[in-house]
Amino acid sequence: MIKCVKCGLPETFETIEFGPDGVCNVCVQHNFKKDVIDWSSRKLMLDKVIEENRGKYEYDCIVPFSGGKDSTFTLYYLMKEYNLKPLVVQFNHGFMRPQLLKNNERTFKELGVDVHSFTPNWNLVKRVMLEALIRKGDFCWHCHTGIFAYPMHVAIKYNTPLVLWGEPSTEYTAYYDYRDNEIEVVDESRFNKIVNLGITAEDMRGMIEDDLNKYDARDFAAFTYPPTRDLKKLRYQSLCLGSFIPWDTKMQSKLIMDELGWEGDEVEGMPPKMYDYEKIECSMQGVRDYIKFLKRGYSRVTQMTVLDIRNGRMSKDEAEKLIERYEGKKPQSLNLFLEYVGISEEEFNQIVAKTVVVPHKQDFKIDEWNPKTHDYEQWYSKKS
Amino acid sequence: MTIGIIDIGVGNIGSVVNAVYNQGWDSISITKPEDLGSVSHLIIPGVGSFSFIMKRLRELNLDASICDFASQGSPILGICLGMQILGDAGSEGFHSLGLGLISGEVNLINRTAGLPLPHVGWNDVAEVNNHPLLDGVKPGVDFYFVNSYCFSATNRENVILETEYGECFPAMIAKKNVVGMQFHPEKSQRNGLRLLDNFCLWDGAC
Repeated sequence: MIKCVKCGLPETFETIEFGPDGVCNVCVQHNFKKDVIDWSSRKLMLDKVIEENRGKYEYDCIVPFSGGKDSTFTLYYLMKEYNLKPLVVQFNHGFMRPQLLKNNERTFKELGVDVHSFTPNWNLVKRVMLEALIRKGDFCWHCHTGIFAYPMHVAIKYNTPLVLWGEPSTEYTAYYDYRDNEIEVVDESRFNKIVNLGITAEDMRGMIEDDLNKYDARDFAAFTYPPTRDLKKLRYQSLCLGSFIPWDTKMQSKLIMDELGWEGDEVEGMPPKMYDYEKIECSMQGVRDYIKFLKRGYSRVTQMTVLDIRNGRMSKDEAEKLIERYEGKKPQSLNLFLEYVGISEEEFNQIVAKTVVVPHKQDFKIDEWNPKTHDYEQWYSKKS
Repeated sequence: MTIGIIDIGVGNIGSVVNAVYNQGWDSISITKPEDLGSVSHLIIPGVGSFSFIMKRLRELNLDASICDFASQGSPILGICLGMQILGDAGSEGFHSLGLGLISGEVNLINRTAGLPLPHVGWNDVAEVNNHPLLDGVKPGVDFYFVNSYCFSATNRENVILETEYGECFPAMIAKKNVVGMQFHPEKSQRNGLRLLDNFCLWDGAC
């Protein structure tokens, strides 16, 4: 596979392009972020947006919140820098880990915020996980759509036009480009382009309508983007904090650990301790990363080392050693996942085989397992 | 805020009505002078021909009412033919006078370049003068045009955007609270909808 000569990201990565010097477009836009964007004027733009909304609506803003490092930092920053009255909106995908729940409780209590939480029907979640896996090789459709659509419904219900997200997608991909020097708007167009896997809630409902369990449109409301008319009528603004201050996950993670007592966690398939601030919110993360490895020939270790290389914190040699050692092992969570969606591992492999991204080839003969995480026994299973 | 949309009883104004609706605004049809009393903004969609639309507006007594509305400083947007009639006169159909809100004349696009008419499709525009409605619209983007006639502005300061097809002509004109767009913002996707939204938010001040 062709890989970026600077960061090592391979050609199977979404949106990647290589320049004549072999450097990828994500590295190039990252340099633009560091050197060209005038962050002090961006901060003034944010100040203006905040002041336009302060005290005028039921809440000053909505903060969509998973409890991971980015949304926790976002909430922390907005409270400390601006002393806002936000409504924290939490979409529960069904796989929140015990450490995350502890972190969330501590964060909410430390900062003193109102919290609105929503959990969709588990039976429907299991069903659409299987459908999305079969059709797209990505079982997280309910989470992608719920996380981005549900808070917009809440914004309408609470008459609160300002929705503030964390990191912009330009940090990781090139669907949007720092080089455009444009503020990334988290709207329906972005939802359809990079969030929903090309499957709207209406599509999904049609895809599973032969099921014995019938679901009506109301069951899919949380996964449906609200009508743009309703959002425009509210004069909504849905923006990323990372469009206004330069995003630095390592520094921000350290800050929330020091200031809020936020704690990291081990993640299946990742080198222990090194990246314990990243993707700790979902017990199915190991399965997601494993599918990525099967499909694209790289996994989260590559993605994390890429960021360190770009930020000058790691050499390519060190990264390659970590990738060699940790990527491509089976996660214990795979057993739980197969139980939830009701298929065998062989069926799982057959489904994923259809979504392998060329030129990567995958023989599906992996039989090395990652160890169980410390909280594995607490992850939901009907059997336990 | 309520957006009035001129409806002279011919052609389809549905795409303008829908575009305004989807941007979160409420609109009403304007079919007689009294209707103008309840609106904050006015849109004149382009339907028919220059001479025909002016004749209809005169029959409905809307020509003078539109000019009154303009003189109060309320925002007015003419789209396509709706922009052309903002001028002093036009030669489409037979020579007839326009509303005279922005000085200029409307004639057939120069055919010496041999390009087919009407000018249909996406064309890029160049900014001549700045205008508050251009907020958030990048320079050099494309808009969707359908026109055989074009505006020739008497004063260069009234030309905001221009495009080229057979000749260089204004794509957007403005004078105080009155704006005209030769392209169809309602059919020009993201950038066009942004202009339309900006218009509905605008107080008419420059």
